[in-house]
Amino acid sequence: MKDSHTIWILATLLGSLGLWLMLPRGGRRGRLAGAALAVVALGLAASQTPRLGTWTAEGIFAALALVTVVAAAAAVTCRNPVYCAIWFGLTLLGTAGLFLLVGAQFLAAATVVVYAGAILVTFLFVLMLAQPEGKAAYDRASWEAMLSAVTGVVLIGVLSITVGGALTAPPPEAAPSAAAVQAGVLRPQHVAALGTELFGRHLIAIQIAGTLLLTALVGAAVIIAQGKNTKTDSINSKELKTDEE
Amino acid sequence: MLSTLIVALIKIVLALAGLMTAAAYLVLVERRFAAWVQDRRGPNRVGVPLTRIRLFGLGQPIADGVKFIFKAEFTPGHVDKLMFFVAPLTIFIAAAAVFAVIPFGSVLPQDFLPAGWGVSEPIRLVAAPGIDVGMIYVFAVGSIAVYGVVLGGWASNNKYSFLGGLRSGAQLISYELPLGLGILGVVLWTGSLRLDAIIARQAVGGAWNCVLQPLGFLIFAVAACAEATRLPFDLPETEQELVGGYHTEYSGIKLMMYLVAEFLHMITASFLIVILFLGGWHFWGITGSGEAVTWPVALLRVAVLLAKVLGVILFFMLARWSWPRFRFDQLMALGWKVLIPLGLVNVVVVAAWAEFGPALAARWGISDPLGLGLAGGAALLLCWLVVAASDPTRVDNSPRRRVVTPDQDVEEIFN
Repeated sequence: MKDSHTIWILATLLGSLGLWLMLPRGGRRGRLAGAALAVVALGLAASQTPRLGTWTAEGIFAALALVTVVAAAAAVTCRNPVYCAIWFGLTLLGTAGLFLLVGAQFLAAATVVVYAGAILVTFLFVLMLAQPEGKAAYDRASWEAMLSAVTGVVLIGVLSITVGGALTAPPPEAAPSAAAVQAGVLRPQHVAALGTELFGRHLIAIQIAGTLLLTALVGAAVIIAQGKNTKTDSINSKELKTDEE
Repeated sequence: MLSTLIVALIKIVLALAGLMTAAAYLVLVERRFAAWVQDRRGPNRVGVPLTRIRLFGLGQPIADGVKFIFKAEFTPGHVDKLMFFVAPLTIFIAAAAVFAVIPFGSVLPQDFLPAGWGVSEPIRLVAAPGIDVGMIYVFAVGSIAVYGVVLGGWASNNKYSFLGGLRSGAQLISYELPLGLGILGVVLWTGSLRLDAIIARQAVGGAWNCVLQPLGFLIFAVAACAEATRLPFDLPETEQELVGGYHTEYSGIKLMMYLVAEFLHMITASFLIVILFLGGWHFWGITGSGEAVTWPVALLRVAVLLAKVLGVILFFMLARWSWPRFRFDQLMALGWKVLIPLGLVNVVVVAAWAEFGPALAARWGISDPLGLGLAGGAALLLCWLVVAASDPTRVDNSPRRRVVTPDQDVEEIFN
């Protein structure tokens, strides 16, 4: 086993333990210790990431990555659902920034439009409508804290060891050349190329996804229509009864 | 590299300073305009301080700004302190960040820069010229602005603010769809998401998109007005129902951020309407259409663009004092039952013309834009007839149960 693998495994374990300690589980014990562990893990992981070359690129990447990771941790450890949603939004913005950094302009903008702009606002809407006073106990503690932490361990561990291992020692043929990057995501007609790819090679997948979303929409409309009918019926029947009496 | 950075910084500073000044003076314009519509005089006294010089009230925006900044800023005890602070900041930053991709002119000749800087192309008058997804960026940053309103309403911990925040959430999400559909027609016709490419297409063709796609123009203008929460659509802050809506609890500089952001939204909407549908910096005969420009032409293009934007802003202001506010169900019905179907019709017409149009135009012996204009006009007429005949926004507000009126005989009801 290589040194970097050991460090990655250590970082993953420490990070997951810290996250588990930070998750809201009723009492407040161990949250600070958890945060400290998570910071140590973050430092360990950062020591294993490859350098980017110039200090500007390095600094921008570090800032964006820090925002993304810290906001993601806060999104799962916060007690107030509205704050969780906002931290999640910050995670999405950080992710969009990272996409922008590697030249994927469309992906960055689409992430913000779809997730931060539409889906998350709907979350907020529901959260606010469901509990205007925001004091429901079942929303302020995490469910199955241990299970989620273990899932996190497995996912983060496997991902970071494969991706991290590939990054620290890139095989010469696997790394995309600068020319390939220039021809791919960095070229001016990037969006047109993306559209051709999506609606050419992946047309069937796009159509299936669209149909799935349409099904959900029709389902929502059906549920609303049923609710309306029963309400009107009950009012009508009451009215009829009053008239008969 | 360094020269690019310096040029970009100068552009950002110019754009931001210009925007802030414009927002301040547009408040004065709005107040004077309102006074004109309502046959009053409006603010005309504040001029140079400590003198009696009035200058037609041109000192008013400065006085307003000073007042906002130095006024006691009161934070109520029942608010969520952090979000109460973050919300106005969010909406303000989002409203200002949109202008990174919005061109405020065409290009400037590079000949005034020192030759050693190595700037070989004309300078584009947009803060971030290289963004290929300009239109989607506008959408993305614009959708962040919803957070400012929704969170401000929630953090205020006040029923009126909360209702305002909820209303705005529903309204802004609903009207983003027709807004997108209106843009889609333009993007299809241009074949690019870049705002400067959209202007260039209109300038080269000589036909503005508002003539080619009148249906899309109307839909976009209405939806942009709703996104800017201007008066027929200002349900998030209805004074008569919700005190001040989402900013009821705000005061001082935070309130100023909300108000300035609102004006910036209106300025953005006007810029987008001009750029997407009214030809941008192009005007027949005087601005030309190419990239290589002389100084007079370059400045003339800026002037034409800004004049058009001012015209659209004045139209928004006139609309504010001309139409009463919608009821909430009317607002939703207009968005979902009228604008979205019409937007789909517009997209279908433009897409069909993009696919089959050139062949048809060649057979009939007309130009491509003329054909699209005819098709768009026919679609507009047809849609208007259908909407006028079916009246989808009308709702039945008659009471569901029989109401006892005073003159009804009580005996008659109870028997």
